[in-house]
Amino acid sequence: MISIENISKQYEAIKALNHISFKIDEGTCFGLVGPNGAGKSTLMKILSGILLDFNGDIHVKDWKVSTDRIKIKQQIGYIPQEICLEETLTAQDNLILFGNLYGLKGKELQIRMEEVLQQIGLKDRAKDKVITFSGGMKRRLNIGCALLHKPSIVIMDEPTVGIDPQSRNSIFSIIHQLKAEGSTIIYSSHYMEEVEQLCDSIGLIDKGKLMEFGRMEELLEKYAKPSLFISGESIETEMLQRFGEVESKGHGYLLNSEQPLLTLENLVTHCREHSLEPRRLELYHPRLEDIFFNLTGTQLRDS
Amino acid sequence: MWAIARTELKKTIQDKGLWFWTFVLPVIFIVAFVAIFSGDESQSYKEVVTQIIPGYTIMFAFFIMISMVIAFVKDRERGMVARIASTPLSTHHYFFGKWLPFIIIVLIQIAVLFGFGVVVYDLPLGNPLALILLSLALAFIVTGWGMAMAVIVKTENMGIALTQILALGGALLGGLWMPVEFMPEVVQNISKALPQYWALQGYKEVILSSGGIADIWLNMLILVLAGLAGGVIALLSYPRFLRQSRS
Repeated sequence: MISIENISKQYEAIKALNHISFKIDEGTCFGLVGPNGAGKSTLMKILSGILLDFNGDIHVKDWKVSTDRIKIKQQIGYIPQEICLEETLTAQDNLILFGNLYGLKGKELQIRMEEVLQQIGLKDRAKDKVITFSGGMKRRLNIGCALLHKPSIVIMDEPTVGIDPQSRNSIFSIIHQLKAEGSTIIYSSHYMEEVEQLCDSIGLIDKGKLMEFGRMEELLEKYAKPSLFISGESIETEMLQRFGEVESKGHGYLLNSEQPLLTLENLVTHCREHSLEPRRLELYHPRLEDIFFNLTGTQLRDS
Repeated sequence: MWAIARTELKKTIQDKGLWFWTFVLPVIFIVAFVAIFSGDESQSYKEVVTQIIPGYTIMFAFFIMISMVIAFVKDRERGMVARIASTPLSTHHYFFGKWLPFIIIVLIQIAVLFGFGVVVYDLPLGNPLALILLSLALAFIVTGWGMAMAVIVKTENMGIALTQILALGGALLGGLWMPVEFMPEVVQNISKALPQYWALQGYKEVILSSGGIADIWLNMLILVLAGLAGGVIALLSYPRFLRQSRS
């Protein structure tokens, strides 16, 4: 269990984090979601032991970050947003560096290096200089460097920024593997789909405040109403208002309804009778982005 | 600590610029200036050689600060400082790990330039233990100051500019280019506040007057204290340096 207790952090006049508290269960994947500048990276830096001057405390297992920092750091594998590698050295040199920093050496390091290289799919490139790697390969090596010491907690700060879909999938499979092995994962991203796909619970953060925290399905149920999505040139708000509460979404409308299936049926009948041809008419599954919109009144990507 | 030191050394020796500044350029300067001043009848050949070789060795030892600034600023800009701070490595081990390779490079630089002096110009070396300890003190101060500057400066260019001011200004005022006795009294007093002066006087004492450790203890103490001051400034500036690191 990781317990974050009343964390606040101030950068001169800016309050980056404002009395944040929540708990993460062991062996789960926790998603920290929020727009750029919300305070995600600051919280990640505090969790990973980089930022030391903050108010509040963090408990990891039976340890307190204020008194057992080194023990906690030994349990953590931190994957930063930036690619932190020595580019003029080989992949193997980088792994040796980070392995040594976590106290691995000799045969133990050698075995772990081979396992990690296999896991990140870079076994054939171990002796090549990092400077010759693609962005996706560097990202994977960046992750590998944090996994050598078999951390029980893996902190990932936007690990998929600026990479191709193939490397993203490869990173996702590493995360699934870590979850299967029982690691606790703290995953920060502003890509909603990723968080929805990977995480068991989430914390929504905005302007340094924790807006909401809980299990994904509970939050979706709590905030996102069942609805229909409809779009097309001949579709007008006045017509839709007969069937329920309407709000515009993208190029179409969301029609909120307590009984979406029945509304769908009525709407199909109405369209048939009036010769209306919607471009899209479907049940709308609530998304994480809708929760964020409900809580803050802003779209995450526009923030 | 050793992991950081090994990595830094591996990276640094790949830098061709470092080889040029550390070995090639000093040799060119020594050859050129010995050729120019050995025709001067007011100074003996031995006096010329014992002024120029240690003088230019000290001056170019200060240029290691450029490599240190580049190494630290790059670490900060790539987020490596924050990444390393997330590991169990302590701050002082991080600094020792970064410091050690540069001390080794400066010691090799001093050995190569003095060795060149011995082979080509028959430079006397005096008491070897005193020479080694003084060289260690010189390596300690240039790298200590280099580390302080590397942690404080905001950009590489700022670090390079400040190094040139320190290395060239210190060389001029510290008597590395010409003996301080030839300078006005005011400048001679300023010289005594510079590590370059104490390093050169120490080398001259060992090489010219066959001085031992007892004769240069004050020189070494001043250099070591100045180097320590650099180390302390670097350590104190670390929290700010870490805050500036990307991550």
